[in-house]
This record gives sequence, C-alpha cells and structure tokens, in this order.
Amino acid sequence: MKIIEHSYSADLAWVEPFAKQFEGRVEGNFIMVPEDSQSGTRYFLECEEGIIAYYINVTYKKNYHLIQKNINKDFVGFYYNLTDGEASVSGDHFRYDVGRWQYNLALIDSTLESTYVVKSGSKTFALCIFIKKSLLETYAKRNNIEFENIEKIVDPKINTMIRFDRMSNDSFHLLQDLRKLKVGGPVFDLNLVGTVHMLISNFLKKIARNRIIIQTVNKTDLANIINAQMFLVENINDHFPSIKVMANKANMSESKFKNLFRKITGETPSIFFMNNKLLLAKELLEKKQLTITQISDQLNFTNNSYFASKFKAHFGISPKTYIKQL
Amino acid sequence: MKTITHLSTLFPSSLDKLAEGLETKVINNKLISVPKKFGDGCLFFTQITPNISALFIDVTFNTEIKFHRISGQDDLLIFHYDLSEHVNIIKINNMDYEIGAFDRLDLAIIDNNIDSIFKPAANERTVAIRLIINKNILTDFVKTYSEQIKEQKTTSQKVSFYHYGNIDSNSILLIQSVKHSSIKDLSFEPFLKGVSLKLLGNFFNKFYNPDSSSSKIREIENTSIEKTKEYLQNNVHGPFPSLTFLAAMAGMSESKYKDLFKKCYNTTPNIFFVNEKMKYGKKLLKSGNFRSLTEIIYELNYTKLSYFTSKYYEIFNRKPSEDFVKNRR
Repeated sequence: MKIIEHSYSADLAWVEPFAKQFEGRVEGNFIMVPEDSQSGTRYFLECEEGIIAYYINVTYKKNYHLIQKNINKDFVGFYYNLTDGEASVSGDHFRYDVGRWQYNLALIDSTLESTYVVKSGSKTFALCIFIKKSLLETYAKRNNIEFENIEKIVDPKINTMIRFDRMSNDSFHLLQDLRKLKVGGPVFDLNLVGTVHMLISNFLKKIARNRIIIQTVNKTDLANIINAQMFLVENINDHFPSIKVMANKANMSESKFKNLFRKITGETPSIFFMNNKLLLAKELLEKKQLTITQISDQLNFTNNSYFASKFKAHFGISPKTYIKQL
Repeated sequence: MKTITHLSTLFPSSLDKLAEGLETKVINNKLISVPKKFGDGCLFFTQITPNISALFIDVTFNTEIKFHRISGQDDLLIFHYDLSEHVNIIKINNMDYEIGAFDRLDLAIIDNNIDSIFKPAANERTVAIRLIINKNILTDFVKTYSEQIKEQKTTSQKVSFYHYGNIDSNSILLIQSVKHSSIKDLSFEPFLKGVSLKLLGNFFNKFYNPDSSSSKIREIENTSIEKTKEYLQNNVHGPFPSLTFLAAMAGMSESKYKDLFKKCYNTTPNIFFVNEKMKYGKKLLKSGNFRSLTEIIYELNYTKLSYFTSKYYEIFNRKPSEDFVKNRR
C-alpha cells in the first residue's frame, strides 16, 4: 500500500510536487509515472484562467491512498470518475464508493481534506476540473442564477461544498467520446476544453432544473434503481424488458418504479433504454465493421426502417448519411 | 432587399453593426433578438478564448436580407457551418455558393481578407454557427493549406483563401444538439463554447489525418479475402479457379472482391496466383526430384514450356534452366 499526500489547485502549481510524490516527472502536459506502479496517461491543461482540467486514464498496479490536502483553498473540484474496480472517497464525516455505477460525480470543496482509496488492478478513467470559486460566483451572478445564496456557498467560513452525485447520461457519453481520442496535441486540447465546457453546461442544466434530489431518496430504493439501470445497459442488445419485470426485480410497484426511475435519471426507463441503444448503434457505425442492417438486427430493432427512423429522430440525421460523412 | 454591412472581429462589439442594421439593441453584450419586422429568432455571440469566438444564428427571416461582411485587417479565419434545412447563399469573390441542406456542402472557411455576402433564404429557419478564429493559433494549418491552394491556383497573390466543403457526421450531431437547446437556458453559453471547440477539434482531426477511416476494411471481409488467398496458395498445381468461384467463396460480388483483393494485397487475384505458382515452380526446380523441365510444368498445370519460361523470367529475371537441378538417378 502506498500513501501519497498531495494538493490540487486551480492553477498549475500542484503539478510538479504531485509528479514527485509519484516518483514521476512532468513532460509537456503529461505527468509521467513509473510503469511498475501504474500504466496509462495523466494529462493536465489550463483551459482558461482559473479552470484546470486533469485527465486520468490509468490502471493501478498497487494499492493507493491519495490524501488531498490543499494549500490553496480557493477552488472547487469537479471529479467525473468512471473507475472500473474498487475505489472510494472519504473524509471526516463521509465515505462514498466511486465508479461507473457508484457515485461518479463528486463536487468537493478545496477546504476539505479527502482520501481517495483505490485498489490495485482498478482501471480509472476520470476527468477532474478545478474551478476558482470567485469564477463560479461571478459566473452565477452574471447569469442571474439563484444558487441558493451563492455567496454563502462560496464563502469558506460559512459553508463548504460537497456533493456526491451521478452524472447524466449525456455527460457519460461526452467522456466516452473524449476517451476515444489520442491524448495530447492541439486537436485533443480543443476537444478537452470543449468537453469541460459541455460538462459545466450539463451541470448547470441540472442545477437549473433543480434535479439534485438524490440525497433525498431512500438508500435501498436508490440502489434498486441503479441496479435497474445497470440491468438495462447490460441487456442493451435485447428488447425492452417491460416495466413489470423491472419493477418486480426492484421490489417496487410499477408506478413507484417509474416515478423513481424518472426522478433519478431524468428519463423514463424506455427512453433511457432507447437512447443508450442508439448511442451504441452510433458507436458501431463509427467502427465501420458492421452494416446498418447488421447493427439493426444485433440491437433487436424490428427492421431497418424503424431503426433508421429512431436514429434520425434522435440524432437528426439518418444512419446512412452518418456513415457517408464520417 | 436590405443590406447590412458588418465587420467580423473576435469581440462582442462586432455585434453592434448587426444590431444597428436590424434596428435593435445588443442585449448583455452577446444577444441580438431579431425584431418581428424582419423575422423571428436571435443571434448569440460568445468569446471562447482570446483567439476564438463563436456566433450562433438561429433565425427565420421574413424578408430577404443581405449580410455583407466587409474584409477586415485582422488576421482571422471564419468557419461558417450551416445546418439549415434549405439552401442559403454565400457569395465569395462574386461567386455564389449554395450552402446548407444536408445533401449539399455545408462548411465554408473564409479568410477575413475577403469580402463575403451571406444571404439567408426568407421564411425558412436558418441555423448556422460562425467560428471566428485568430490565424496565429493556426499558423501551421494556414501554411499547409495556403500551399495547397497555391498549387491549385498560381494566380493567388495574397495569402487569403477560402474553402468550401462538407461537415463531418460528428460535427453535424453537435450542431443538431445546439439546434435543439434553448438560447434562454443558462447552460447555453458553456454548451455553445464546448460545441464550438469540439467542432474545431473535429475539423483539424480530419484535416491532419485524412481518410484514416474511409479506406478501412471490415474484419469479416478481411478474413474472407484471406481465406481465398490461402486457397490460392494451397492450389498452385491447379488452374486459376476463376474470379466467380473466388468471389463466391468470399461471399461477395466479383467487382467488390477484385477491389478488396487489390486493397489488401496490392495486386489482382490472377497475378497473385501466377506469382505463387512461380514461387512454387522455383522450389520444384531446385528440389532435384525432376528429370526435365516439362515434368515440372505439367506439375504446375502448364502445357507450354515457353509460357512458363517467359513468366518465370518476368518475375525472377532468370531462366528456369539456370535454376534447374536435374534428377540424375
């Protein structure tokens, strides 16, 4: 087990000491870490004054305890974390498991000391965004957002921000798109900054709709809904399994299931299912290994034309045009 | 017809002229809401980085309006993405270009040194994103690009150019998603910024890695081509099995088979087969198991020694007799 104490900040001051802690070095915008402890990429970029993006795509080969103790306490960290394996974030009064199906979006104030525990063999894909609080404040003010007393929230003496949440489906796919790209270079930088902006946009959308209700939902209910989501994604190739079956699985009445699902994911089960199906179809089309008919069959669409019409309704262009101009 | 002249710059102040022309005011330094007199919709401007700005246009004009962008001194490039469902006109160097509609070209890149006129069609929803970019972040791109242009037209005296092409699918999806979101949402501005940057990312990705994916061969096709190749290699004693047979074996039409075979091995099936035969012939010649050349050519299913000799010479630049090891027993 390896214990590492480090800090983040909304400028690039944390990078060098961080690399040293890992016995690595900084090369351009990459943090190079010795291959025997972890393999993969760590990349950082200053998107604009006061906004830092930190991209992590690594496989850990040792158990790690990362203790975050910040020197500069003037920023907020957004952690989009899609870890495959065991990982958790804990602090004085809280402990949450993180990963694709756990809490995958954490919003943690820089004043808090937190520990990130990750087991050997875990594959972490994460994007961290560090934003200066003053920036958030001016941003919110400029756009007239009622951040329920934004001043109170960003004043470190009165309040600290901490929130564990699940990212929206949109955000998840944004990250997946980013993951496909080769890291480094101007093209990647453009995409990275673009993704950061879009993630912030999604987050604001969520706040505007006041959809952060997860903390008010009963824990077992929440777990059941997440399980239902997992079930749908795992069986994405099949037909929609019917509300009845899923409600039974989740030990809820059909109406309760439908309502809760919608509350937590923002979509009805069948729309959630269809959207994921179509996104998968898009990915298959991009790979150019299967024809449109094969994809439509594999995903269990009744026929091509139904698939094409659904695709068009969702993305705005037909599968054929999509391939043509890829 | 009304004409509005304006200048493109990286700053929100470039909206002033547009607003004046449309007889309205700029709201919050970023938004122009088009008055009912001219149409319905708005223009939205945002500066993304010191060197990149975006102007989003989503308006249904009810009269014909010409937007005359006069050339400016700043070293800027303008990317005009048009996702309207009908045809708009862009006039560059007195040439009319149709832009918009899915089946047409829908991306125009114009140098700020050139005048251009944008004429959106009346009574149709016009959706477009204009990215205004400082050339100095693109020095590399501009250099390679203007070189290419120079090769095409030696007359160009200045380094000013325009390009006219297709938007790639992923970018279309991005613009579509902007089309569906509302300008009034507070999440709109960061969203537009994100989309704009990703659009640029996509464009340069395509520019620097041209046709990386277009020439890709499907795995299944690859394996079936491989299968026929192995068949040819294993049947060098026989006659050429005919294209029809091989194509059927690979499960495709003859023309497709020929095309793919050429893509994989850079030669036609027949030439490939003859080459294999010759390689096998060389092996037989050197094996010392045969008493005469005629025996070998029968083994290879040839009837004329002269044909074999000439083919052999073509490939190895030697006569078969030079390589022949005779069986003396």
